[in-house]
Amino acid sequence: MNHRVIEAAPPPERFARGWHCLGLADAFRDGKPHAVEAFGTKLVVFQGENGKLNVLNGYCPHMGGDLTQGTVKGDAIACPFHDWRWGGDGKCAGIPYAKRAPRGARTRAWPVLEENKQLFVWNDPQGNPPPPEVTIPRIEGAFSDEWSNWTWNTLRVDGSHCREIVDNVVDMAHFFYIHYALPTYFKNVFEGHVATQFFDGTSRDDAYLGFVPGPPQKIDQKSEAAYYGPSYMIDYLWNKAEDMTVETVLINCHYPISPTSFMLQWGVIVKKFPGMSAEEADATAAQVAEGVGLGFMQDVEIWKNKTAIDNPLLCDQDGPVYQLRRWYRQFYVDVEDVTPEMTDRFEFEIDTSRAVETWREEVAENVANGVSFSVIPESMRA
Amino acid sequence: MQPVDCRACGARVLVEKKSPPHTSVQWTAAAGAACGEIAPRVAAGEPGARIRHCGALRASIEWAVAEGLVRIENPE
Repeated sequence: MNHRVIEAAPPPERFARGWHCLGLADAFRDGKPHAVEAFGTKLVVFQGENGKLNVLNGYCPHMGGDLTQGTVKGDAIACPFHDWRWGGDGKCAGIPYAKRAPRGARTRAWPVLEENKQLFVWNDPQGNPPPPEVTIPRIEGAFSDEWSNWTWNTLRVDGSHCREIVDNVVDMAHFFYIHYALPTYFKNVFEGHVATQFFDGTSRDDAYLGFVPGPPQKIDQKSEAAYYGPSYMIDYLWNKAEDMTVETVLINCHYPISPTSFMLQWGVIVKKFPGMSAEEADATAAQVAEGVGLGFMQDVEIWKNKTAIDNPLLCDQDGPVYQLRRWYRQFYVDVEDVTPEMTDRFEFEIDTSRAVETWREEVAENVANGVSFSVIPESMRA
Repeated sequence: MQPVDCRACGARVLVEKKSPPHTSVQWTAAAGAACGEIAPRVAAGEPGARIRHCGALRASIEWAVAEGLVRIENPE
């Protein structure tokens, strides 16, 4: 008897080329060195006295001291082992006990970018500088008084390659089974280094997601989420209840720690309602972020127990997993080896009719049987 | 996938229809550059992947389906 055999090559040893968000920029502005485990190594992030945020290799090229345990001195990071100083450009900025630094003494300085009040680092195994056309786009709400401040959460995921979270871009059905949403429209568009998911959905009468404050009510959800490069997704969300629309921007991003672990991060801003104070807006953002976080925990629970699969067996109502992975591969090959099929525009609109019909029946059955789900802790429910 | 020529700009794309609501469209760089709706917006700085579709192409695909030029795999 023939049966399907799951194929899974080992995860790639190299790390994706692209901008990776390390977190909110302000979190690094305390004059202290910060350790970031990423790209199979350790990085040091620090702000010099000139105000600039810098990212260098975490280990001192002199004798391997851990710069993340060093001290910021002037615009340089000083190693705790022998006080060697390294500037944000990677050049040796001095060795107090030596007459001069070795000729050309330099450590690796990682290109950085600040956008949307977040800090990004550029990874390229070939060592090329970041091309301007792949820069991180600006989010207007992040700079507006009409919006809340960012929330920020992190979750270390061990035992999975970060491809697992990227796969979610095309995975319509998991939104019902894992995240208690009910997608009614679902379309993907990939082009260049951007991969978008257009999603319309509706709340389920058997679930409460907390995207609109107050008691459970019928909510129509619209979402436009796009990965800009391999790891930074901006998700514009409109949650429409009877008397209000909550506008949210959700960041879903990650950076690889090793081939089998990554740091998942998410942040939320919400647009203030008329008359809403800054504190109230921040509290609403925190509530949405908590709901998103609980959603990610449900993903993680799946990832912890699933196997990698290179040859998923798909039905007609599944999204374009193979084409998404074809797009994603562009970040794991040398830039000369990026082929048109990885970057040419591709559109895929799912037929949701059968799914919506089945899911509405399932929800009605749950309601009739008194079954309900909540991704907001009981304590936070109105 | 089956070829469809846009009735507005002539750009040729490949189309797959598994059912009437499903549509899959594979573009080429040449088709993207020829598109009268998407190319100007991309030139103005908008990421192409943020544009849902080209209206003229969508109409051309619907026309091709109605004319029987694009076969629907599962018409039910």
